[in-house]
Amino acid sequence: MQLGHKKLVRRNWVLFIILFIGALSMLFPFVWMTLSAFKTKADVYSYPPQWLPSVWTWQNFKDVFDMIPFVRYYANSIYTSIMQTALVMVISILAAYALTKLRFPGQRIYSAFMLSSMFVPAVVTMIPLYLVVSSMGLNDTYAGIILPQINTAFTTLLLSSFFAAVPNDLIDAARLDGCGHMRVLTKMVMPNSKGAISTATLFTFLGAWKSYTWPLIITTKTEYRTLPIGLKYLVTESSSEYQMMMAASLMAILPVLIVFIFAEKQLVRSITLTGMKS
Amino acid sequence: MKRSMKLLALLLGMLMLIVAIVGCVPEPASVNGSDSRDEETTTASDSDDATAAAEESTGVDLTVAMDASEREPVTLEVWYAVSGTSGEMFTEQAQAFDDSSDLVSLELSYSGGSNDTATKVSAALLTGTEPDVALMYAGPSFTGSLGNFDMAQLIQRDGFDADDIYPGIWDYCRYYTGEICAVPYGISTPVMYYNKDILEAAGVDMTNPPTSWDEFYEVCLQCLESGNLNGMDGFTAFDVTDPGWLFKSMCMQNGCSIVEVSDDGTINPVFNSDEAVEVATYWKQLVDSGIMAAGEHSAAENKFLSGNLAFLVMSSNRISRWTDVDINIGAIEMPYFDTQSVALGGNVLVIFTQDEQKIEAAWDLISYLLSPENNLDFALSTGYLPVRQSELETEEAAAAIEENEMYSVAFNQLSYAWAYVHFEQMGTMDLQIADALSRIEKGTREPQEALDKALEKLVSEMEFDAE
Repeated sequence: MQLGHKKLVRRNWVLFIILFIGALSMLFPFVWMTLSAFKTKADVYSYPPQWLPSVWTWQNFKDVFDMIPFVRYYANSIYTSIMQTALVMVISILAAYALTKLRFPGQRIYSAFMLSSMFVPAVVTMIPLYLVVSSMGLNDTYAGIILPQINTAFTTLLLSSFFAAVPNDLIDAARLDGCGHMRVLTKMVMPNSKGAISTATLFTFLGAWKSYTWPLIITTKTEYRTLPIGLKYLVTESSSEYQMMMAASLMAILPVLIVFIFAEKQLVRSITLTGMKS
Repeated sequence: MKRSMKLLALLLGMLMLIVAIVGCVPEPASVNGSDSRDEETTTASDSDDATAAAEESTGVDLTVAMDASEREPVTLEVWYAVSGTSGEMFTEQAQAFDDSSDLVSLELSYSGGSNDTATKVSAALLTGTEPDVALMYAGPSFTGSLGNFDMAQLIQRDGFDADDIYPGIWDYCRYYTGEICAVPYGISTPVMYYNKDILEAAGVDMTNPPTSWDEFYEVCLQCLESGNLNGMDGFTAFDVTDPGWLFKSMCMQNGCSIVEVSDDGTINPVFNSDEAVEVATYWKQLVDSGIMAAGEHSAAENKFLSGNLAFLVMSSNRISRWTDVDINIGAIEMPYFDTQSVALGGNVLVIFTQDEQKIEAAWDLISYLLSPENNLDFALSTGYLPVRQSELETEEAAAAIEENEMYSVAFNQLSYAWAYVHFEQMGTMDLQIADALSRIEKGTREPQEALDKALEKLVSEMEFDAE
């Protein structure tokens, strides 16, 4: 018994080392980005590469603020990402509930249609979408950025798979007790699908946060533009100014990191549950 | 654990606040500025045809400026596809024009990279929300396809001196039918940069640089043999960041003009000719001999700047940007096959508006930007090239060359710079050529087969569009 335990410990150490190496390789780009953000250009291109900056400098951050209206872009990105995420989640939760817990004609066809929409590349629909949005007079508006991006197929289908796992008997019992659909959804289905909802929220927020082409096409005024457009402005012509790009990227990634930290527990749980379901 | 994670989130939030305070936040307008400079340039032979075509566009004679008493204040919407240092310089000049003009005010908007701008402009043209003026890549393929040849008339106006602009650069502003429908601004050519220390270690005398591609090949072998100063496994002698751009230059040097226009106006891609296949075969030799790595072009600039590459072909706009690097960089004129030639790249200014008042305003802006002093200022600040021959005779240009010898290489190349005609599917052609070169490098297709397939796909799209 004791020997078996020792073997287990030894085996776990091997596993631990493998996982540690894996974790380091995952962390490496982030650490490198963080350190490079504080380096001078000479440090970035020095050979052999040096881990730590010879002189820690905030100049790169200043340069970013000099070149683009970073705060305005930042604020726009936060606003549009939050609004888009909220709308997507409301629509997706309602749709997922309808698809899994209600019965209506054409239900399967509707699901298949929704699934098929995920296979159409965004670039194909870009110009037709622009024509529609433009005809509605939504150029250079937050609504113009947000509304066309409320593509709920992915999150709806993701949530559907979790909502389907909530026992129908439980829902039937609640219905017999007089609960309406909204109450069943908010009091029974959603609390039992917190992990899935967190995951879907995170994915939606990430998608909105990094969205570049659509906001670029639909806006021309700085006051409506988002952070990815600002980052692109730095990247295109400053491709050799890696220290500046790293500073901008570091600032851009922080909100996502904060969202992840708060949602981490639910996210890990939902991924674990997904594995168990199969 | 939970508390520590939330503490971490709080710290990150504070960090965001700190960087926001440390960075001096500018007004949003700083990115929106864009300038466009225009100049009237056309040769006498172009003028007559151009005038007729332009009159079809607006129905008025634009070769003569509108009377000052008829002018009204207007606001121009200007999109620009240059960013970073170039974007800053462009917006600075445009803002200066705006400040100096009582009749014209500008709304400047960054439109993304070249592909993004093409998509944005395409979409805008369909809904009538296009800008009045745009600084963009492949502008003639947009204005030309619209039949908008106003620029051909405008460049004939007094004071513009179209003949002062390099003839090859004018070719960059033509639609395939021959009419000028753009003006150059932010033009560049590929330049052959080299690492002085590596070449010295390899024992190559760069005061007598290789002029032919055969000589260049031998020099590269010398670099491979004794130029690896850092002792890196990944060291190579040569690379290029934009393979298609160099390939087209080499084809022209070898007698292949990439695209031909027949008498009836039909466009015929010819980049699978025997001359082009010879170039592609040479390209394959570079890879087979280890001189150039296969498919690693996107990392070429980093590799060069970290001292692990002897030669790099990249845009001339890097001349003014590589100022704070740890390697000694030099430049030589592009080696060639039969004749010297480099393909032009970069952006042009186009006028989309059909409003007579706005056309006048747009021309004011373009004339301002393309004045010799402003254009040279832009060129020396951004690394793009001066477009007027007279600019190179100024003291400022001489001082720039004195300070940085690489400028003289880029300026000299202008005398034999060249452009192929603009047509709607030129973006597809670039993609197909890049794909063909990638397959040649990786050995999945032979040069002739790869170019044949690329041409076949391009022709197929052209035929589809024609239907």
